[in-house]
Amino acid sequence: MTAAAAAAVLASCKSKAPAPIAAAAAPVELPRVSIVRAPAYDQSLYDTMRRIVAEHRPDVRGRSVVLKPNLVEFEPESSINTHPLLVHAAYEAFLAAGAARVEIAEGPGHRRNTLDLADAAGYFSTIPKFEEAFVDLNLDDVTRVRPKTQFSRIEKLYLPNTVLRADLLVSMAKMKTHHWVGATLSMKNLFGTVPGAIYGWPKNVLHWSGIEECIADLHATYPRQFAIVDGIVGMEGNGPIQGVPKPAGVLVAGGDPIAVDATCCRIMRIDPVRIGYLRLASGNLNDIAEQNIAQVGESIRTVATPFALIPEFQGVRLV
Amino acid sequence: MKAGESGTGAPRQPWHPMSIATLINKQNRDGGWSYVRGGSWTEPTVYAMMALLSAGETPAAEQGAAWLRSIARRDGGWPPCAGVDQSTWVTGLVALLDPEVMGDTAHRRAVGWLLGTTGEESTTIYRLREWLLGNATPEGDRKFPGWPWVPGTAAWVGPTSISILALEKEYRRHPASRVRERIDAARQFLLGRACDEGGWNHGSSRPLGYPSRPYPETTGLALAALRGVRAPQVGQALTMAHRFLDECRSADALNWLRLGLRAHGELPAGYCTPSGVEYRTIPETSLDLVMTAAEQGHDCFWG
Repeated sequence: MTAAAAAAVLASCKSKAPAPIAAAAAPVELPRVSIVRAPAYDQSLYDTMRRIVAEHRPDVRGRSVVLKPNLVEFEPESSINTHPLLVHAAYEAFLAAGAARVEIAEGPGHRRNTLDLADAAGYFSTIPKFEEAFVDLNLDDVTRVRPKTQFSRIEKLYLPNTVLRADLLVSMAKMKTHHWVGATLSMKNLFGTVPGAIYGWPKNVLHWSGIEECIADLHATYPRQFAIVDGIVGMEGNGPIQGVPKPAGVLVAGGDPIAVDATCCRIMRIDPVRIGYLRLASGNLNDIAEQNIAQVGESIRTVATPFALIPEFQGVRLV
Repeated sequence: MKAGESGTGAPRQPWHPMSIATLINKQNRDGGWSYVRGGSWTEPTVYAMMALLSAGETPAAEQGAAWLRSIARRDGGWPPCAGVDQSTWVTGLVALLDPEVMGDTAHRRAVGWLLGTTGEESTTIYRLREWLLGNATPEGDRKFPGWPWVPGTAAWVGPTSISILALEKEYRRHPASRVRERIDAARQFLLGRACDEGGWNHGSSRPLGYPSRPYPETTGLALAALRGVRAPQVGQALTMAHRFLDECRSADALNWLRLGLRAHGELPAGYCTPSGVEYRTIPETSLDLVMTAAEQGHDCFWG
C-alpha cells in the first residue's frame, strides 16, 4: 500500500478525480485480497479459512491473535452478526498456522450484555469453551492512546489492552450497508474496540467527532491488522441493524483492510471512491483503484451483486 | 396481586452464583471492583457497594468509598476508572450513594456536577452554531435536557435515567426547585423518546425516520426514572416490560426490568429470576443482590 501510495502522488498532483494508475512507478507489491466463494455456513468453512490464512501467511507463529467479530443484536436468524462458525473456523486456522494464543474479543455498541448477546448469536453453542477464549472489550482495562492520524477531533482514546497487546488484530466484519457511511466492513468494525465502559452505549463520542474520520483514525491506530469480511449472507438496505439479509456467497480477506474494504464495496456495487472513510484512510484515490489491488481467487466481476441502498446513499452506487 | 411498593411478596430463594462473600473476595486491594477481572472501575464499585450496604457489610463498602473518593475529579465528577481524565455519566452512580457513605462534600459536588451537565444538543453554544449553519434545533432539546455518557456529546436514555434516580433521591433529602426542575425536564426528555411500540431504545425513537425497537434494559431503567409519572408512554412501556420479563434471559436486563416494574408496583409478587440466567459480571451480580434486598425492604434506589 505504501509503495502504491508513493506511485500515486504524482498522479494526484495533476488531478483530484479518480485517476488511472501510474504505470511508471517502481516495482510495487500490490496489496493482495482474496475473494473466495462460500455459499453457506457449513463445515467447508474450516478448510476455506485455512486456505485463506495459508495464502496470506500472516506472521503469527508463536504470537497472539485477537479475532474481532461484529456482534450487534440479539437476532440469531438475521444477518446482523458475524457468523460464529466463520469465527471458529478462523480461530482454528490461526492456531493451525502456529499462533500461540487466539482470543475472540468484541465490544458491542448497542447492547451492554455482551456475553448474552454472543449466546443468542450462537457463539456459545458453536465455539467450544467460548467464554474462556472471549474478552468483552467494553469492560477490558484500557490504555490511553493518541491516534496516529488526526482526521477526527479525537486527540486521545482509551483503548482495550487486549487489542493493544495483540500481535495481530483480525477484524472479522459482516458485509453490510450502513445508513451513515454507506458500507460497514472491516474498518468500521473497529468501532467495537472502543470501550463502552468509557464512552457509553452507543459510543456517541465517535459520532460527534465524525464517523468517517474516526474510522480512519482507528484504522491508523492499529498497526498489525488482517481483515476477513463475512459476505456469505450480508445485509442490504437500512443496515447495519434494520436491513434485510443479502446472500452474496463470498468471503473477502487480506492483510490490508483498506484494500479489502474497497474490494468488498465493488462486490456490493458501491463505488469505494465515494465512501468517505476509504478516501481519508487511503490518502489518495489510487490506493483504492481496482488496478492497484491484487485480487486472488475469484474476480470481482464473477461474484459482484448489488446491495440495495437507502435513498440517501443512491449516489455511491458503482456505475 | 403485585409486589413492589408494598414491600410484600413471598419469600424467595434466588439463585446467586456469587454471594456477598464472593463479592468481598473479588474486591481489589485498592478497595474498588473490576467489571470481571483487572483494575477497579467506578460503575462496578458503586453497585458492589450498594449490594454490600444492603447486606450490612459496611467495612468492605467503606473501602470502596475510599477508593471512589481517591479518584474524584476537581470538577466534582467521577471518571469511569483511575487514569481517565474526564468526568462522565458514572458521576450519577456515585451521587446515588448516600452522603453518609461518600461524605457530604463529595456527594454535594457530585450533585453539582450533574446539575451543571447536559447533552451537548441542549447547550447554548451548540444551538447557536447550528442556527448559524442554518440547521434546525428542536425546541425540546433546549427545554428538556438529558445527560450524556460523556460531556460534549448527546444525551441518552441510560445516563439520563441514572441521573434522574440520583437527583430524585437528593430531592427527597433536600427539596430544591432547581433539582425538581431538572428532574421534571429530564423526564420529558424520556417521554419524548419512547418507542412507538412501547419502551425505550438508547435514544431517538425514530433515527433517520425508521422506528427503533425497545431494549429490555433501557426500558427498565427509564421506567425506574419515571416512578410516579402517569403518561401513556409509561403504560405502554409497562406492557412491554412485562413481556420482556417473561422472555428475557439476560441478567443485566432482568435486573433493570425488576427495578422498573417495582417502581410502578408492577413486579409480579414473589418474582423469581428464571433458572439458567448467568450472572457474569460484578454489576450483574451486585444489582441482583440489590434488587433482591430492595424487594425485601432494603431499598438503595429510593431509600
